[in-house]
Amino acid sequence: MSMKIDINKKLKLLKKDGRKIIGCFPLYPPLELFYAMDLVPVVLWGLRGTVTDTTESDQHLQNYTCSVARHLTEFVLSNTSGLLDGLFMYNACDTLRNLPEIIEKKSETNGHALSLIKVHIPMVLPSQTDASAYFKNEINHLIEELEERFDVSFSKDKFVEAVKQIKHIRNLMTRAENRVAKGHLRFLNFADAIHECRFSTIDEQARLLESLIDDFSDDPAFLADKDSRPGVILSGILPPPPSVINSIESSGLQIVGNDIASLGRSYASMPETREDPAAYFLDFYYQHFPCPTLLYTGDRRTTSLFGLVEKTRAKGVIFIGEKFCEYEYFEFPHLVQQLRDKGVQTLEVEIAIEDDAQTSAHNSRISAFAELLKS
Amino acid sequence: MAKKEKTSAGRNLSKVVGDAYMDLHAKAAHGAFVVWIAINVPAELFLGFENVVYGVPESHAALTAAKGVGVLQCEKAEQMGYSMDLCSYARIDIGSVADGGKDSPTFGLPKPDLLVSDNNNCSLLVKWFDVHHRRMGVPHFVIDVPFCYEPQKEKDRKYIIQQFNDLIRTIEEMSGQKFDMDKALSAVSNTSEGVVHWKRFLSFAQQRPSGITAFDSFVQMAPFLVARGTLQFVDHYKLLADETEQRVKDGQFPVPDEKYRLFWDNIAPWHQLRDMSGSLAKLGANIVGATYTSCIGTVEGSFALYAFDGKDPLEYCARTQNCYMCPHGMKLRGQAMQTVIEELNIDGIVFASNRSCKPYSVTQLDQQKLMMDQFGIASVMIDVDHADARKYSKESTFTRLEALLEQIEAKRAA
Repeated sequence: MSMKIDINKKLKLLKKDGRKIIGCFPLYPPLELFYAMDLVPVVLWGLRGTVTDTTESDQHLQNYTCSVARHLTEFVLSNTSGLLDGLFMYNACDTLRNLPEIIEKKSETNGHALSLIKVHIPMVLPSQTDASAYFKNEINHLIEELEERFDVSFSKDKFVEAVKQIKHIRNLMTRAENRVAKGHLRFLNFADAIHECRFSTIDEQARLLESLIDDFSDDPAFLADKDSRPGVILSGILPPPPSVINSIESSGLQIVGNDIASLGRSYASMPETREDPAAYFLDFYYQHFPCPTLLYTGDRRTTSLFGLVEKTRAKGVIFIGEKFCEYEYFEFPHLVQQLRDKGVQTLEVEIAIEDDAQTSAHNSRISAFAELLKS
Repeated sequence: MAKKEKTSAGRNLSKVVGDAYMDLHAKAAHGAFVVWIAINVPAELFLGFENVVYGVPESHAALTAAKGVGVLQCEKAEQMGYSMDLCSYARIDIGSVADGGKDSPTFGLPKPDLLVSDNNNCSLLVKWFDVHHRRMGVPHFVIDVPFCYEPQKEKDRKYIIQQFNDLIRTIEEMSGQKFDMDKALSAVSNTSEGVVHWKRFLSFAQQRPSGITAFDSFVQMAPFLVARGTLQFVDHYKLLADETEQRVKDGQFPVPDEKYRLFWDNIAPWHQLRDMSGSLAKLGANIVGATYTSCIGTVEGSFALYAFDGKDPLEYCARTQNCYMCPHGMKLRGQAMQTVIEELNIDGIVFASNRSCKPYSVTQLDQQKLMMDQFGIASVMIDVDHADARKYSKESTFTRLEALLEQIEAKRAA
């Protein structure tokens, strides 16, 4: 992410009208439910450009945990101005599941106790166990807890309205992504906009995305050779840092699609509108675009990536490895092999927390990869 | 340190483990239905079938590391593209499977018919077993166990039991065998009885000097992973506890001139057991207990025995699903640790920050602070990797361990 989005400023603006802000992690919280209950969910992911260091986080997390966890912890613990009214988390990886208690304890010590809400998303394979009753209970309990803690109420009408609004936002995100694929929009601008959306109201998100879609001030130089640029897909838990994105685009590659958790994977799923939140979110999670964090989607991952390659006619896939993200790293060798067997070239780029020193190494590898795809 | 002679329980341990692997290979060769499981998967369920056998990749990886070939197997996985940052158990296992168990101390594990992972000890296990699922084309059953920030809730227990029933049905369908609940009940009873003896064995750490070292207990965990639910399991732990009791009566202690009583937090450093215990003993230090071994046969938040009431084996297995340290949170861990530290009169805690086990290690920095601030216990954080010796430095570890002993001395002098 670029540094131009001031998250704290965004949060202050959100807070201005008395809205209650819920920080959420990991990436796929039940946004529609929060909106329906007049709460503003903000997804705390990809905060690399927001926190300047990890001083506070380093008191709690070892340096072999991923940057997502370290930045998130730093952001929440160093943000003592009471901008967040609560934290919501569901079960994810082995690092993140331990964060709520660390954050809770330290927040109490800091005198800014945060309301922490935890939900368990079933990770069973639907073909093996029917978890719908368990999940329904979790969602119903979540609604009760939100009502109780934040003095809000749930209504089916407002939920349906929120579902429609979020579907509209996801459609706009998809349209913006298509503009990137066609060379009308720089990937960095697109990624920044999606990131900003996470800290904006639904109306602001719509305005931001529409302006991105309607912007026809194309970069002529960039657009000129778009048809001769080999298409690549980016895959990973986070988009790469701006320097890597610039390197990819300036090497003559066209980013035609993304399998990135905080981007494409998060807006690709659009379940049918339903009044019952449990039924809606069961569809949402179980039909979700495959992501290593949703354990039951493992078998669909390769197929969906192949589908993306086919649809975009990409010649290569660049895996953006988040250092210490075990979920992603367990899958790379298999995906790389499968793609290569189909004649799709791959490149792995590892991004670590202190990665500025690696920029030139990344650039060289990306240039070499671009040459390979052009040959 | 007293000269280490092999005890009867030590000799029997080799037999139990050797028999288990031989039996596994032999039965698999004769058509048994083979399941690979994560350590938290209740193996007793498989004893409810006539001819279902199980192998535990984590246990096999630990044995491989203890036998000194962990790094060799890790390197094979790394050459296949698996990152060096991934869990070393997983890398050992993937490397071992890649060439059919070559270099494995047990000739690997027989090819499975079904993989059963769970996500409570670590959710990466599901990804690890997915690697085998894809490479071998073997079905993968995932048991989803909600993490415990508080004592396990009934709704979660019911959900776990539902999955156990689904697992049983899956095996029945795949193997053509019928599950017998009475056999499973008998297996759970055997495990529970063995655990009583295990707890008795661990209790000799309360002696001063301690009747055991944590290193003994690490090694003696193996039957939990290869022989749970059997009579051999009960007999072994009875032998172990009885023999230890006799040795204590006879005045035989592993570190007779014990000056410092330490407690270990994390998985055992399998590649360093002999060296680390010997070097510590020379300093008059004994690691007398460990969270890793104390949690067996308990429930989250306590190291007290959680005995089987003889009624419903699935209920018992579900209730104990969060007993290991990783499936529950910092508050519950601290609660259990505090009690055992008092019971064992611990002078200092060794927090082993383990690069290969994030679920065990994340929260250790807070836990260390809690133990020091609230209970005044001296402690140190060392860097280890449970199975990859390349990520361990003896010099740096012992510099820190010696600093811990100095802290203890300073506290005594104050």
